[in-house]
Amino acid sequence: MLDQLLAALTEYGSPALFVVVAIAALGVPVPVTLLLIVTGSLATQGAMNLWVAIAIAAVAAVTGDQIGFGVGRWGGKKVVARFGRLLGNPERIQELDAKAKRWGGAGVFFSRWLVTPLGPWINLASGAAGYSWLRFTLWDILGELLGAVLFIWLGHLFSDRVQEVGAIFGDLTWAILGILVAAYLGWKLFAGRRSAAKQPRSY
Amino acid sequence: MEQPRQRTLIIVLGFCLAIAATFFFGYRAGRTARHYHRQDEPIQPWMSVPFIAHSHHIHAEILFQAIHIPPNPRDHRPIREIARAERVPVGELMRELRQAIANGKAP
Repeated sequence: MLDQLLAALTEYGSPALFVVVAIAALGVPVPVTLLLIVTGSLATQGAMNLWVAIAIAAVAAVTGDQIGFGVGRWGGKKVVARFGRLLGNPERIQELDAKAKRWGGAGVFFSRWLVTPLGPWINLASGAAGYSWLRFTLWDILGELLGAVLFIWLGHLFSDRVQEVGAIFGDLTWAILGILVAAYLGWKLFAGRRSAAKQPRSY
Repeated sequence: MEQPRQRTLIIVLGFCLAIAATFFFGYRAGRTARHYHRQDEPIQPWMSVPFIAHSHHIHAEILFQAIHIPPNPRDHRPIREIARAERVPVGELMRELRQAIANGKAP
């Protein structure tokens, strides 16, 4: 599929860029980082305008994110109500909602450009958790704009090495995601041991 | 008592998996970066002739001529499309392009 998407991007330029980035933001597993790097290279070759490409990529990503947020807002509550027992009791769900609201801004911002595989899930979760649409949109626009500038600019700088640069950044994204997951689980383990140590032992 | 132990085990497994994934992807990124620029960008069927020419620092006209297509810098068709239109296997087209690049770079 990647081959077809890259071929469409090479042949049709901006319209293909808009469609591919928007569907990636909706959660379709597309290596959007590589596509943006290739876009930067195409801009260097004169096949696209650099600033127009950045604007199109950012608008497409925000459009897809807004749809994801909307699905979470209007469809997510029903899913949570139906499958809520899997997440725990109502207090646990409220706790997750509160966490999503508290960390929402940072989560939205960093998942736009640093840990992109989490982006579509954070869109849905933010919508379902009732996170403020205005704040979501603000962090979303900032993050997507930074992501589009970063990766398209990288493609522009390393326009003759897009596959290598794409592979390096793709791997780095997963490595960063691994660090975040390890840090979170390590913290969970540490917190669990501490609370177990505080509980009085029964003999 | 069984449930917290099971939960801890799952968290430990997840933690180990996350550490392993971090090392794997970090190592792979480092290896790609170390070999950066040692070899030419591989030609792929999604690339257009001007794209390949740009990646290999060679004039697009040379590559168009090598595959018997009228030179046109605005022709952004992927080589797979060109192969289909010309009724030539894409592998053969890629071979001709690689040969033209090697000849073009030869001193």
